[in-house]
Amino acid sequence: MKKTIKKNIINIYYIPALVLFGIFVIYPLLKGLQLSFTNWDGFSQNYSNVGWRNYQALFKDANIKTTLINTVIYGFGSTLLQNVLGLAYALFLNRKFTGRNVARAVIYVPAMVASLIMGYMYYFILQYDGGALNDILAVFGLEAVDWLSKGSWAVILITLINSIQFVGVSMILYLAGLQGIPSSYYEAAELDGASKWQSFRHITLPLLLPAITSSVMLNLIGGLKLFDIIQALTAGGPGFASHSLATLVSYTYFRGQNAGYSATIGIFSFVLIMAVSIVLMRFFTKKEGDV
Amino acid sequence: MMKRAGKKRRISASTFVALLICAFHLIPFYIMIGVALKSPYDTSSRWVFPGYLFLDNFKEAIRYGDILKSILSNVIITGGAVVGITVIGALAAYPLARNQTKFNKGVRTFSLGMMMVPALSLLVPLYSLMVKIQGISTYWGIILVLVTFQLPTSIFLFTNFIVSIPKSLDEAAAIDGCPRLRIFFSIILPQLKPVTASVIIMTGVSCWNDYMFSLYFLQSPQIKSVTLSVASFFTQTQSNMGAAAAGALLGIVPIVALYLCLQKYFVKGMVDSAIK
Amino acid sequence: MKRKMISLVLGVCMMVTMMVGCSQKPEQLENEEKNTTENVGDAGEEDGASQEAPEGASSEEASSDEGGKKYEGITLSFMSNIAGVQSEAMEEVIAQFEAETGAVVEYSSPGASYEELMKTKMAANQLPDLFTTHGWSIARYGQYLEPLNGQEWASRLSESAKQVVVEASSGNFYCLPVDVDVAGIIYNKTVLDAAGVNVDELKTWDAFAESLGKIKEAGYTPIHIGGKDNWTIGQFFDWVAPSYLITDEANNHRDALKDGSFDWSNWKGLAQMMADWKAEGYFNTDCLTADYNAQIKAMAEDKVAFEFLGNSAVTEMQSVNPDVDLGLMSVPSSSDTDEPTLIGGERIAIGVWKDSANKEAALELLGYFAQDENMKNVATADGAPASFEGVESDTGIIKDDLAKYMSQCRIFPYFDREYLPNGMWDDMCITGASILAEDSGAVDNACSAMEESYKAKLEVQ
Repeated sequence: MKKTIKKNIINIYYIPALVLFGIFVIYPLLKGLQLSFTNWDGFSQNYSNVGWRNYQALFKDANIKTTLINTVIYGFGSTLLQNVLGLAYALFLNRKFTGRNVARAVIYVPAMVASLIMGYMYYFILQYDGGALNDILAVFGLEAVDWLSKGSWAVILITLINSIQFVGVSMILYLAGLQGIPSSYYEAAELDGASKWQSFRHITLPLLLPAITSSVMLNLIGGLKLFDIIQALTAGGPGFASHSLATLVSYTYFRGQNAGYSATIGIFSFVLIMAVSIVLMRFFTKKEGDV
Repeated sequence: MMKRAGKKRRISASTFVALLICAFHLIPFYIMIGVALKSPYDTSSRWVFPGYLFLDNFKEAIRYGDILKSILSNVIITGGAVVGITVIGALAAYPLARNQTKFNKGVRTFSLGMMMVPALSLLVPLYSLMVKIQGISTYWGIILVLVTFQLPTSIFLFTNFIVSIPKSLDEAAAIDGCPRLRIFFSIILPQLKPVTASVIIMTGVSCWNDYMFSLYFLQSPQIKSVTLSVASFFTQTQSNMGAAAAGALLGIVPIVALYLCLQKYFVKGMVDSAIK
Repeated sequence: MKRKMISLVLGVCMMVTMMVGCSQKPEQLENEEKNTTENVGDAGEEDGASQEAPEGASSEEASSDEGGKKYEGITLSFMSNIAGVQSEAMEEVIAQFEAETGAVVEYSSPGASYEELMKTKMAANQLPDLFTTHGWSIARYGQYLEPLNGQEWASRLSESAKQVVVEASSGNFYCLPVDVDVAGIIYNKTVLDAAGVNVDELKTWDAFAESLGKIKEAGYTPIHIGGKDNWTIGQFFDWVAPSYLITDEANNHRDALKDGSFDWSNWKGLAQMMADWKAEGYFNTDCLTADYNAQIKAMAEDKVAFEFLGNSAVTEMQSVNPDVDLGLMSVPSSSDTDEPTLIGGERIAIGVWKDSANKEAALELLGYFAQDENMKNVATADGAPASFEGVESDTGIIKDDLAKYMSQCRIFPYFDREYLPNGMWDDMCITGASILAEDSGAVDNACSAMEESYKAKLEVQ
């Protein structure tokens, strides 16, 4: 008994963190849950309870379906792109040659820029009238394209831009992981006659798993919560075609004046992101355990 | 001899590829700088750099956008938040890494879960709360919120790192009679430097670039974040894209410059934290 | 060494360009350049003046009144949705108030996020001491605002201003309208001349649509919409809907819209009009992805014939191209039996929070905006008619058009503010975007979506 108390006494170190979570996350979350059962318009002082009506609406709402698919594309699409490209960059820049340090620095720079500003920067490129990309098309005698006007294109472009902006984060994580692999492993494999692919598959990948875990988790959560870039590029449009759950929450609350429903979408996206993350965490913990 | 020559050629090929990659990632910056330096009446393509020097856009950005004042506010906010994030995060990570009871595993998952809460869905209740505790438009208010929402990242990184520190060190200290509460300060803390560097930089960048919280919680013109100034520049009903680009450029210069100067520490921190 | 060289070269370049002007610039640019520098010069002078004025005032004040000023130590918060030159004109009035009373005014103008901020503030029941009401002094902000009927200046409101701000049910009004918004369709004279279109002939939408065809044939964009900022799409309906549903004295839906019995199949006509125009190519190709700024720019560069915007856009177009030749026309009617109309509403209107701790000081600051000279300056910066009888502001390039149509036409309030339940503005924007995207069945969906939202929102009210 005494021993467990002694052992657990260090738990007091996480109390400050838990207090902050309690005040600024849990309390508002519960309050939000309560609001999700109301028809509050977001600003007046009175509103009434509507029971499960918002939740029923949620499952009938066609826009939610689009938004949900978009969110999944933003989340998983950018995670995949970022990690594959990030790993490729890391493998490439892990070799010794002139200029690799400059390249590492440059690839990471965009991650330093606020996403909102990055969105505006790409808006200069993608704009229909005077956009830089259409100028290139014009050089080849092609007709100008209104890049963001088709919803599906807008979603793909936003995913791409998000991935390109943050690929440096994955790259750095992988570089760090790669440098932690002793070169003697590769030498041994070479002696055993292993091919390049084999040593990548059986040495590099398994030993990179911790880096992959961090990178995938960070990217995925960032991608599922994507907000700023969408806001800067399309503001969710045309119509609802490029909304993510995050932008939809803010849109429904402020523009739709439907705070109750907005809170419902918020709760829904919270549950969704939570579930996805837990599943992934399980998956990776198991994998890491296997190695 | 032959082999060496071949190797050399490969090296220059790599350099060339690296150059292409760099160019690709720098395109948006190039375009924005071009727009910022162009007169609004210059209708040439955005790929063409202006052949003259035009700084009115910057003047306008500084005059209307209050960029300089925002940078100062941002420094204070980010500084305060980062201190909180590292201290509270490192403290919390210690028991989570070292005392892996079932309960603490739950706490760890819970803290990770906090990372996944879409802050927007909390906006309204959070805002009323901030009003109640009179934290709107104050440095401490925005700092507390930023700390809370960055803590999970910090705890995540610190926990992972502490797990990798050999337990034998703690045990040796415990045998020497060091109280458990002090082991953190005497054994763990001194070893946290590298991971602290990455926590500071990773969360610091997020705080610096935060848009949503500053939008709702900083409303007095006295405290204004950089993203806020830049965004209001873009969304204002002003039609000068050049000035908006200039504002954005001024807004990102400090953080990019800082990164380029401290790059070494950042990479080192990441590398150290990954080598277990 | 190399770096030093570069910075040296850059420095020299900079000095040379500053001294000799920009010789490499295109000719047109040089002309424009003059205009901008003039503008900058003007602005600079204004600045100087605004700084001097309060200083002079404060030294006077200090000598006459040594026992401290009236509101020393009081801080007022003031939020406004107004930006640019108009905002600067307001700040001058505020500076005058600060200098004379010793109060500190925290004035902020957060741009596009203004409405969102105000909503969060209302939610928390914590509003700024003073704020602009952007058309919602009654329906949305009324319950938070101090009634202003008892103010000294109350009797001076012009008829058109009263129409806009007085609550019909109580006779109260809750804001000081510095000026009133009287809007029509903004057009580019250069483009219309080139296409051979005479606005005086555009009395009905049919005639208007015909002119759009001509303009397109002449190689111009007939109408520009910056739909990335989707309020510009909602604008279209605000301009068109009254002519279909409201303005015809003999046949209208005013009562039905208000009592909840409105049949939304009547919406189809105007939604279909938008769809037809889109199909004909009367809107700009990027009508869903261009933004408001692009809209201003296109008009200023003589690429576009018509835009459905408030008059403050005119000032902005002129700031892009000072030589642009713009006009204002009345909004056509939907049938021969009706007449063209104008749209009216609040523009710069300021209210005082009823629970403000410094109400007295806030009301006094409002009084400063009600002084003839100040009102004239702010209204002139806004290019809109001042709201007091006897105060004349300069409405700039559209002055004659405004005078002409205001004497001829009936003025109707902004459609969504008057006839739709609070919060439906967004539905017009969204359903319009779907029509512009040429989604299948968009017109019918627009009607049903509007109906659904109309019913839901009425229920809440």
